[in-house]
Amino acid sequence: MPKSPTELAEELIQLPPSAISLKLRGDETYFDAIRGIVDIFASKKDLNVIYISAAIPSQSTIDVLNILEVDMSRIFFVDCISPIVASIIKRHPNVHMVESPTMLENIMLKVEYLMKKSGDRSNVVLLDSINMLAIHNSPKILSEFVHILNNNMRAKNAYILIFSMDAFSSDEIGNMMTFVCDLEISMAKEGEN
Amino acid sequence: MATEKPRKDAPPIYRERCATGIEGLDNILNGGIPRGNTILFTGSCGTGKTTLSLEFLVHGAIAGENSLFVSVTEASDKLMKNVIPYDFFDETLIKKGTLVFVDMPVIYERLGLTEMELSLEDVGTIVKAVGDLVDELSIKRLVLDSVTSVCYRLKTEEKIREFILQIGKCLSDRGCTSMLISEISPSAERYSLYGVEEAIADGIVLMGNLERRGDLLRTLQVVKMRGTNHSRAKYVLDLTPAGILLVPLLKGGSGGGTT
Repeated sequence: MPKSPTELAEELIQLPPSAISLKLRGDETYFDAIRGIVDIFASKKDLNVIYISAAIPSQSTIDVLNILEVDMSRIFFVDCISPIVASIIKRHPNVHMVESPTMLENIMLKVEYLMKKSGDRSNVVLLDSINMLAIHNSPKILSEFVHILNNNMRAKNAYILIFSMDAFSSDEIGNMMTFVCDLEISMAKEGEN
Repeated sequence: MATEKPRKDAPPIYRERCATGIEGLDNILNGGIPRGNTILFTGSCGTGKTTLSLEFLVHGAIAGENSLFVSVTEASDKLMKNVIPYDFFDETLIKKGTLVFVDMPVIYERLGLTEMELSLEDVGTIVKAVGDLVDELSIKRLVLDSVTSVCYRLKTEEKIREFILQIGKCLSDRGCTSMLISEISPSAERYSLYGVEEAIADGIVLMGNLERRGDLLRTLQVVKMRGTNHSRAKYVLDLTPAGILLVPLLKGGSGGGTT
């Protein structure tokens, strides 16, 4: 079980492109996981990052990544949360908005567009998070969305990582993730077993 | 001499395809539109009909097929601005004459068709003028935007039927794959304003706006396409600088009508 950004990145580097459910145990692991994926893992594998923001506005994530001095040139956001919380103060050129987290097809279309734009470079898609999308969508349509998205990514040889917050997860979401993802990785905070 | 009947075990005859260049649509159509087909692209305003047809022509021109856009309602200068934002658009296509824009009112004027209501004879004159243009410019792809506006001046069902039949045959005989753009109201229960166009066209592609829980999604559905197997499912589309992208409509959502 990885407990730091480096450990998570090292575990991911060993894997072929797959659909991975990343279970986050505790709030403290959230930014560690993001850093492990978008900074260390993506840089080492020379991947573009397509970050689906459904939990917090993309600008908040960008602010944190800037503090951490992460190279932003290869990170692109599909933000479906800022438009509904009216938090678009400034728009980063790498951010693509989707009007609402219920427009799941439009999320897929923006991912598709960004993959088309990335040319020869491979991609890692990070969905943050399944729990937040579950607030806005029925389990049935959400399962369909994740199933199609995962298969699209597999067909394009891309990694897809789906955040699942342990504290907010239900049996239904857990079962769905087990069913549609290739594997599950749990991330804990340092010192936890 | 007896005519040879096709054997039951003979492989199906494969018709050459005209790839639209829109990846999602070509997948739906099993490789593209059967070459020479006349397709009705129909939908209410804002559904992406003109944008899709322009992309079809731009991809054709890039592939070296001379492509013609016949604009009935909008001035071509204005339309040309719509293709410029495409990442793959190259202005030399217009300069070289591979991508040509023609305004229908100019054709009417040159033919001396000044009356508001066109006659059956005029139908033949217009079709011949379009045919001559296709021959002269060696056109392989054509868009008529919109056939509804032409039909508006034809008034009767007989003349509309004659026009669609003649234009379809004229273009098909020349190996030209064409899109006829048709405007319908959001609540229409048929695929064309006059009901005639849909019966005669080789294919019908329905474009719509689907309202689902307050969200408005642009959709595309191939209802009919002669000469190919195709999906009849509904897809959601997005108009992007990289062209039109399509993904399947998720069915887990609550039902909603096409508006």
